[in-house]
Amino acid sequence: MNDIYKPPLWPMLLIGVVSLIWVLPLIGIIMTSIRPEGETLKGWWNIEEFTLTLEAWREVWVNYPLWDALWNSIKIAGLSSLGSILLAPMGAYAFAFLNFPGKKVTFLLLVNAFVIPNQILIIPLFTLWRNVGLIDNIFSVIIPFVALSMAWAVFLVRNYLVDFPRSLIDAAHIDGCGHVRTFWSVVLPNALTPMAAVGILQFMWTWNSLMLPMLFLRENIPLPVLLTKIKGTYEPNWDQVAVATIITSVIPLLIFLYFQKYFAAGASNQSGQKG
Amino acid sequence: MASIALNNLVKEFGETRVLHSIDLDIKDGEFVVFVGPSGCGKSTTLRMVAGLESVSSGEIRIGDREVSGLAPKDRGISMVFQDYALYPHMTVRKNLGFGLKVSGTPAAEITQKVDEAAKMLGLEQLLDRKPKQLSGGQRQRVAMGRAIVRSPEVYLFDEPLSNLDAKLRTQMRSEIKRLHKKVRNTIIYVTHDQIEAMTMADRIVVMRGGHIEQVGTPSELFKSPANVFVATFIGSPPMAMVDGEIVKDGASPMFQAANGPLLPIPARLRDKVKVGQKVFYGIRSDSFSPVGHSLPRAGEVHQMSCTVDHVEPLGAETLISVALGNSTVLSKMFNPTEVDVDETRAFELELDACYLFDKGTEQSLDL
Repeated sequence: MNDIYKPPLWPMLLIGVVSLIWVLPLIGIIMTSIRPEGETLKGWWNIEEFTLTLEAWREVWVNYPLWDALWNSIKIAGLSSLGSILLAPMGAYAFAFLNFPGKKVTFLLLVNAFVIPNQILIIPLFTLWRNVGLIDNIFSVIIPFVALSMAWAVFLVRNYLVDFPRSLIDAAHIDGCGHVRTFWSVVLPNALTPMAAVGILQFMWTWNSLMLPMLFLRENIPLPVLLTKIKGTYEPNWDQVAVATIITSVIPLLIFLYFQKYFAAGASNQSGQKG
Repeated sequence: MASIALNNLVKEFGETRVLHSIDLDIKDGEFVVFVGPSGCGKSTTLRMVAGLESVSSGEIRIGDREVSGLAPKDRGISMVFQDYALYPHMTVRKNLGFGLKVSGTPAAEITQKVDEAAKMLGLEQLLDRKPKQLSGGQRQRVAMGRAIVRSPEVYLFDEPLSNLDAKLRTQMRSEIKRLHKKVRNTIIYVTHDQIEAMTMADRIVVMRGGHIEQVGTPSELFKSPANVFVATFIGSPPMAMVDGEIVKDGASPMFQAANGPLLPIPARLRDKVKVGQKVFYGIRSDSFSPVGHSLPRAGEVHQMSCTVDHVEPLGAETLISVALGNSTVLSKMFNPTEVDVDETRAFELELDACYLFDKGTEQSLDL
């Protein structure tokens, strides 16, 4: 045997260990969800007794409005993401290609919203929603979600558009487009990458968010809020919480797996220029 | 079809003035090339005509309309960009028809016009491809097709051939020229390549530093350059400038090259020089050849012997550099034979094809 190149063993081992650390909690949650609560109280890794049961899955399904919560989560995260995906490029286009008085200051103000903690907004928002009757309406969380996303989303898309080929915009103007048409027909179709990035980040964030929905929603609650209700004050209900956690995290995982190709697509579809 | 007039056109970016009061009249159907080194303002002028750049002061007239306040689409122009600027997400067909679609042209008419333009440029096979599936030359053709489809009064070309390789560039040059013969529209074409300018233009506008240096037909610019810049910019290899001054030698004035030989002054200029005047003596390689290897000369010829500095054999001819005093002059040897470096040979200079420029103003003494 002449082995020309034999990869060293240690990277494999290192990757294996790191992966195990990452995957352990997931295994734990799954184990907890498929065993009776009594067996896992000493730790899910304890397998002196092992009974396979889907009791917790049935319990959660029967006792809690899981479908409603799932539907609410989809509506809230979906609409918030759609709002950010559509609005952020508009702002970004203006900051990247238009000249208007106060452009720099406005941009600074917008980006500075990064540093404002959400908590500050809760009380004024609550008062506002109560006065206009939006409490327990999903828009009471969607509107702040979209608004708060603008700081980073506009920044992200603008940084992409700064490198957008200027001549495409010129060509669109020559072809008779105003700014709206240029944005819609030329810039947007070629900015799918940052839009996907905004969409994924916003979806993850709004899907997992707990505070605003818990405060502003009563009946129309999304999954994370439901999760807190499953975990009762006197009963931990670990097995049922595990089930709800799995259901809650499956959707963003699927979405990420589907959309990640847009991250990789990158600048390769930029223009007709010769590379 | 339309004529174009630029009157007192000025462009400022903040404090910096990049165009200094440009005046130019372009006739209906004329092919005008703006040429000059980068940063001379040629592209800025073109973009101002297109409406992509605002006018700081002065006016732009296309036909009988003042257009400097109008949007690009209302000016009756179309433009071909240096990097083609094809929409990456559209097929060739959609790229060609986009302008018509925006202006609300009925679909049937768009299809008909796109097909016509595609046929004219040989793009029929490519209509369903995306830009990234095309070669550089094909993209260039699509970019031209997009301009043609809108049947504008004026075509604007912004260095359209600079991304192509040398062979394709030559081919596209003649295609653009043929296109002009066919459509007979007014064309403004911007390039930094003087060969493109010479081969395509009806008239050339030579620009430098935001000023127009000279306007004229290719042969006017070649035969009577107004100043040192135009003389060295137009023509390849560039005209050599021999540094020196006018001296009195007997009855007639002569040119004394700095640390070099005495040269006679072309007959047409003898009355126009003053003794003691510092001048450049302009010599093109074509009019300075080794004896026995020159073109037939009609006028006065001056013979001198020079030492060969450097030799560049090009096949059909050989370029020889020789030193005339402090300056280097290129000589073109027709029907070339072997030439050695450091060899001393007899050269002949066709005086009527030489130029004198005042060293201070750099203006030609022919004017």
